[in-house]
Amino acid sequence: MRNRRQTLLGKLMPGDITLVGMMAAVIEVCKMALAFLPNIELTSFWLIMFTLFFGWKVFLVVPVFILVEGCIYGFGLWWVMYLYVWPLLVLIVWKFRKEESPWFWSVVSGIFGLCFGLLCSIPYALIGAADGLRQGLYAGFSWWVAGIPWDIGHCAGNFVLMLVLYKPVRSIMNRIK
Amino acid sequence: MTEKRKMDRKVAIGIVALVAAVALLAVVFFLFRQKPVEGSKAITIEVVDDEQKNVTYDVKTDAEYLRQAMEEAEGLEFSGSESEYGMMVTTVNGVTADYNVNGAYWSFYVNGEYCNYGIETQPVLDGDAFRIVYTPAQ
Repeated sequence: MRNRRQTLLGKLMPGDITLVGMMAAVIEVCKMALAFLPNIELTSFWLIMFTLFFGWKVFLVVPVFILVEGCIYGFGLWWVMYLYVWPLLVLIVWKFRKEESPWFWSVVSGIFGLCFGLLCSIPYALIGAADGLRQGLYAGFSWWVAGIPWDIGHCAGNFVLMLVLYKPVRSIMNRIK
Repeated sequence: MTEKRKMDRKVAIGIVALVAAVALLAVVFFLFRQKPVEGSKAITIEVVDDEQKNVTYDVKTDAEYLRQAMEEAEGLEFSGSESEYGMMVTTVNGVTADYNVNGAYWSFYVNGEYCNYGIETQPVLDGDAFRIVYTPAQ
């Protein structure tokens, strides 16, 4: 364990720390800029692109981003959801990181948007489960169903943004990498 | 070339799956969403006019107070003079009982008891039976 940590820290150069900060800043700025559009976000897009281009470094970006979000908006229940939702996206992208088709990543991003509400309903189900498993499932299910129109909007937004931005952003990132 | 075709096929399947998932979620939403309810309290409002004819209105309402429930009762028409204590009802379904003119008035009852409040502040509970009775000069 100690050796693994040393290896990871050993790999981390000052330039990497700057890069991690830059990536977190880009995500945060885009998130704030699009905050007026319900469920239209670039966080998924950037996390996918950063995972594809900067590899393991994105595993440092996610905690920074989540922490900054908590500091800005407060550490509410939604913040608990962030603890597993965004790392899950990064892990999925990591698994398919050899894929290069914009359509492929648009589908992945769309599916993630569509499943966002379902993933976020887990804490509600767990809280409801304090009164029994059935109540917990009902609480989570009701919460998820109420947000389905928003999830569909999230899915469409993610799909279109990835399809439109993937190629131009990829060509720019290829140049700066 | 074969690799590309494989990829295209994979993407096509992915897009179809995504569209199917969106359609499935839309169906789930329309089947299980919370539907608006008509009103959580069921009450009756009975009007007894100057000829002892009565009409009963069944009302489903979320109103907290009687005035709103009366306004929601389909077919029930009423008017009166506004005062600092709320509306003093003088006319119900076209029948006027004005105490200042002929000493008659409209009496309000809830579950057989005389209402202690005006229609603005008379609480409405599920199952309440209200009566609005033309009461001639004594």
